[in-house]
Amino acid sequence: MQSLGFAFALIPVLRRLYPDRAEFASRLGSYMEYFNTQPYLASFVLGAVARREEDRATGRNIAEDPSVIKKTLMAPLGALGDSFFWGGLKPLAAAVSVAALLAGAWWAPLLFLALYNVVHVGLRAGLVFTGYSTGGDVAALLSRYNLTRMARLFKVLSLSVIGCIAGTVAFWEPPFRPALPIAGPAVPAVAIGVVLGMTALLRIGGTPLKLMLGLAVLCLALVLGGFWAP
Amino acid sequence: MGQVLIAALAGGLIGLDRTALGQFMVSQPIVAGPLTGWLLGDVSAGLAIGGALELIWVLDMPVGTFVPADATVTAVSATAIAAITGRGAADVPLLGFSLLLTTIMVPVTMVADHLMRMRNAQIPELVLGGSGMPSEARVTGWHLAGLIAFFLKSFMLCLGMIPAGLAAMALFLSLPPATHRAMTLFIAFLPLLGAALVLRKQSMQVLDPYLLSGFFMAALCVHVLQIPVLAAVPLAAGAGWLGVRFGRG
Repeated sequence: MQSLGFAFALIPVLRRLYPDRAEFASRLGSYMEYFNTQPYLASFVLGAVARREEDRATGRNIAEDPSVIKKTLMAPLGALGDSFFWGGLKPLAAAVSVAALLAGAWWAPLLFLALYNVVHVGLRAGLVFTGYSTGGDVAALLSRYNLTRMARLFKVLSLSVIGCIAGTVAFWEPPFRPALPIAGPAVPAVAIGVVLGMTALLRIGGTPLKLMLGLAVLCLALVLGGFWAP
Repeated sequence: MGQVLIAALAGGLIGLDRTALGQFMVSQPIVAGPLTGWLLGDVSAGLAIGGALELIWVLDMPVGTFVPADATVTAVSATAIAAITGRGAADVPLLGFSLLLTTIMVPVTMVADHLMRMRNAQIPELVLGGSGMPSEARVTGWHLAGLIAFFLKSFMLCLGMIPAGLAAMALFLSLPPATHRAMTLFIAFLPLLGAALVLRKQSMQVLDPYLLSGFFMAALCVHVLQIPVLAAVPLAAGAGWLGVRFGRG
């Protein structure tokens, strides 16, 4: 899926290294094979391939096909990147921003973009150079950027902020502040109960779509049944 | 019609950020919603809708053959439906019903994404052509054509969903007040559903210790110590960090 984008990104490098048209086309063709990894960590692969193509073109290493590293790296980097960016950084930035928004901060979207992109853009740019300087050495990547440990920390922090969201429910700003017939510490207790109850439903096969629709039906039933009247 | 077109164009452009261009997360609901709201003159509606949807879809990831919901199109369409109906000042029931409407339409976005993936899978063969060798022009052309295809996908989805939503909204406005009150309650529950979805994906345990430490720290801060909510957020995160630093994490 990402092979075309990868080949497109390599065109300037290949054009410079292979002035001969046939060789250029042949090298470009070798990057059209299946490639699928975490898109940001593709920068590392790109740097590594550029280095190996350079070694090949200058005769430093003609035995090895530079495109092989692409296949070797895509699966481990996919797992590493998915865990760090999609499973760690993104939910943390989202949780912090939503917590700020619920507290009435209109600038929460800007906070989200700042939290996410300070890490993302810095890593994405740096990884091209790391890939180039190490020639695709994953051990060097892991020692320079401890992504696994950071992913774990980000997950924990996002869970704590999610807990904070439930704990501050009585102080949410409209339109999210529910008009409840209870007050004081009972409000966060009910909120965490709702969160844990919905999590239990998700564990027995609920999906976001089903739960949202079920929630709408429940709200309608509560209002029509006279159990909730703001 | 002009506002629908503006929203659809915004949806198409913001949608590019999902996978095709940049991935700076402008396409996340918490950003896409307010951006659309700003274009249509109702930032508050966008903030509320984006905030409600963000945690619900943030961990809906394209793993394996699973095609996630298009949260961008959902956020843009819901914001546009609320902002256009509310004429720049959508009230809470309108926001709730817009969210519900676009939720119902989520499977359509998944089908569109699936079709897009099937189309993408054929591109390398087309680039190689009969000769089996790619040319720079063909690689560049097909790569840039991909951007147009991704734009059109989001644009067409918004162009279909927003008018359909506006028609349904006209019906909603004629419904009894009880349904409007139900939508007010619905939107209040959505952040808690989002919290449950994050907990489900991030932890193997329902009673996760980090979740509970953040919860108790925040409840203590705002209910007992009467610290502002915004200050409670870093304190709750700090409690989690301490758990990792000194606990079993």
